[in-house]
Amino acid sequence: MRIFDPHIHMTSRTTDDYEAMYAAGVRALVEPAFWLGQPRTTVGSFVDYFDALIGWERFRASQFGIRHHCTIGLNPKEANDPRCREVLDVLPGYLAKDGVVAIGETGYDSMTKEEDEVFNAQLALAVEFDLPIMVHTPHRDKLAGTRRTLEVVAASGIRPEMVVVDHLNETTIEAVAESGCWMGFSIYPDTKMDEARMTVLLQKYGTDRVLVNSAADWGRSDPLKTRKTGEHMLAAGFTDADVDRVLWQNPVDFYGQSGRLNLDPVPGFTEFEPAAAGNFEGNSVLRGAPKS
Amino acid sequence: MSRNHSAHPDTPFALGYGTNGFTDHTLADALTVLDTYGYRALALTLGHPHLDPFGEGWAERTEALRAELDRIGLRVVVETGTRYLLDPFTKHRPTLVDAEAESRLAFLRRAVQICALLHAECVSIWSGVLPAGTTPEEGWALLLDRMPALLAYAAEHGVKIAFEPEPGMLVETVADARRLRSELGDPENLGITVDLGHCVAVEPGGVEGALREAGELLINVQVDDMLPGVHEHLELGHGDLDLALALRTLADIGYRGVAAVELPRHSHDAPGLAERSMAAMSRAWKEAVTTPEHPWLTEARNTLETNPGRISLLFAGAGRGVGRTPIDPDNDPQGIRRGTVDDHARAELVTTLRNHLPAAGFAETVVELYRRGDDAERRGVLYGLNTAAAQGLAEEDPLVPAGREIVADALRTNDPRVVAASMGTFSGRHLDQYSWRHGVLKLIFMDVTLDVVDGLQERTDEELSRMAVAFAAERHAAGRPVPEDVHRLTTPPTEREEA
Repeated sequence: MRIFDPHIHMTSRTTDDYEAMYAAGVRALVEPAFWLGQPRTTVGSFVDYFDALIGWERFRASQFGIRHHCTIGLNPKEANDPRCREVLDVLPGYLAKDGVVAIGETGYDSMTKEEDEVFNAQLALAVEFDLPIMVHTPHRDKLAGTRRTLEVVAASGIRPEMVVVDHLNETTIEAVAESGCWMGFSIYPDTKMDEARMTVLLQKYGTDRVLVNSAADWGRSDPLKTRKTGEHMLAAGFTDADVDRVLWQNPVDFYGQSGRLNLDPVPGFTEFEPAAAGNFEGNSVLRGAPKS
Repeated sequence: MSRNHSAHPDTPFALGYGTNGFTDHTLADALTVLDTYGYRALALTLGHPHLDPFGEGWAERTEALRAELDRIGLRVVVETGTRYLLDPFTKHRPTLVDAEAESRLAFLRRAVQICALLHAECVSIWSGVLPAGTTPEEGWALLLDRMPALLAYAAEHGVKIAFEPEPGMLVETVADARRLRSELGDPENLGITVDLGHCVAVEPGGVEGALREAGELLINVQVDDMLPGVHEHLELGHGDLDLALALRTLADIGYRGVAAVELPRHSHDAPGLAERSMAAMSRAWKEAVTTPEHPWLTEARNTLETNPGRISLLFAGAGRGVGRTPIDPDNDPQGIRRGTVDDHARAELVTTLRNHLPAAGFAETVVELYRRGDDAERRGVLYGLNTAAAQGLAEEDPLVPAGREIVADALRTNDPRVVAASMGTFSGRHLDQYSWRHGVLKLIFMDVTLDVVDGLQERTDEELSRMAVAFAAERHAAGRPVPEDVHRLTTPPTEREEA
């Protein structure tokens, strides 16, 4: 089972996790920029964090045979802090970088005016840089927040296939499915979503435009939830191809729109070499063929 | 000297010139000319007119030469192909395959003494042409009989002997030299000299085959052109030698020694030959290391020429543009020793930018590119610094302090590819000794080959040796393996001299 975890915060995880993920079949991942639990107080704190995402963490993952990519953005919680807002000015420099495959996490936390401005500014950047965008749905007042999110996305002019709306559940999936955006599900030990419920949703809505992630971070979470969901799907009668579609092909299709994926096996690690080179212009499965 | 100094190309081996091509110059004047044209090594032929090995005060003059070589920063090998040193009537005689050869052996022993005093890298010798009436078997027996004592004498002096196959001599090809070594019991201090021109004349596998066959035994190289079957040393470009292929092969097999031009019949125009030979080697090296330029890079360079402000976007996009494959995927899959195609593309962008910005603005831009870069972009900046240093950087150039700041940051990282790139030509020439030592030790600690270090031989000192020994002791105490490269640091030149 080859796995691409489309949302996991490796900065908060140990090397044991990397080893266990590799053993479970994880060969690529995306680490979205988000908040650190402890609020930041300066733009410099973001800059060091972004640098770690495109530098040290990428290197650390490669030591364990895993290709690391990231998203860059100002998360909605810190969008409310005027000391952090100026980070919007440094984002464009990062959005040109290799391995930066989307903007995010962005979206709403408490649906304030400041969150609105920052969300809109980042949607505009996604259009400008032709990058996908990862939109997080609020923990509280989730359905109303998801509807508002979809309205703002539609009004921004971005193509819906460039957007993933994440942390969905049974109450929010319908609206996102109808919008044409990608649907992200974070499989957690107890809270957001679990393997069994996810499998039921896949039976009901199909595997198209679905991204399943562990969203593992510094809180109680499990970086192997992707694998466990795959096993649950197989036990429920899904085929190997269905599992590969959800756990590998879908993340490749979604983030491949950036032209920035690098899925070459890390030297020294050659298992699960992706076969489908040629479909993702600009991504390094083509080893950097120039864009025409 | 009012002439501008030329740059030594960024080869992993040192390009030099043989003094037997400068017999109408004093040695001091020859050194001035060679230094001016960018040579970084000397192949010193003993005898008339430069250093008479049996003349009065030979040892003092050798030591003075060592000081002079240190001052201008030249490596040196000792050559013994003097024509009329031993017999004023007969060229090269007697040789090791003559029945009576005591004067030859006495000369070679003196060459060993001079090599030790000079801290030269080896003494190059050849077998000789069989005299009339001597069979190859008899000649071979003489060689087998005479070599062990010479090798033992050299070993006592910490000197390596480089055996050179010569067209028409008993040991004519690299295969012959390997067979001789094997029959001598593979003595550790016996290596091989390869003359690139000879490969055209007599080597069955051509220049690439001969160099690969010499492989790890190669410790000395002579550079000249030749035509098939004709043993006449020609100016580069006047024969059939594929010089780019030869230089690429040398780099490929990991050669780090001296490659010195050997044109013993051209002294009448020595400065012209020295200048043209360096130009030919520079062009060939450029051809050797650059596959045809990627169209993305050509376009990016054109963009920079009209709009240098685009550098940060182009720098970030280079991996997508030209790919990220290592230059030498078979021997260096991580791109640690020779980098990746995007490393080299970024270095080219840095070089292009340098030609379009004033020095101070360029230095600031380079620092910004590094600070804002991801791991690959930072490597690209470091490769660019190495290129600039190889082309020659004046100490007052603002790029020197900027580069030091960048290298200091790179040496604080734990990414082996970044650390490896930071110990190249720039650091070899411009990093202070304290930081340089710690950089070398860090590479050992990270298990990165010291092949990436520029100036390893010249700059390794007793303090670094002490640090390496202490590191090895720590590993021993922990029962952990000691990286093999530690041994490259534990024999500094001073100890070799005392040995």
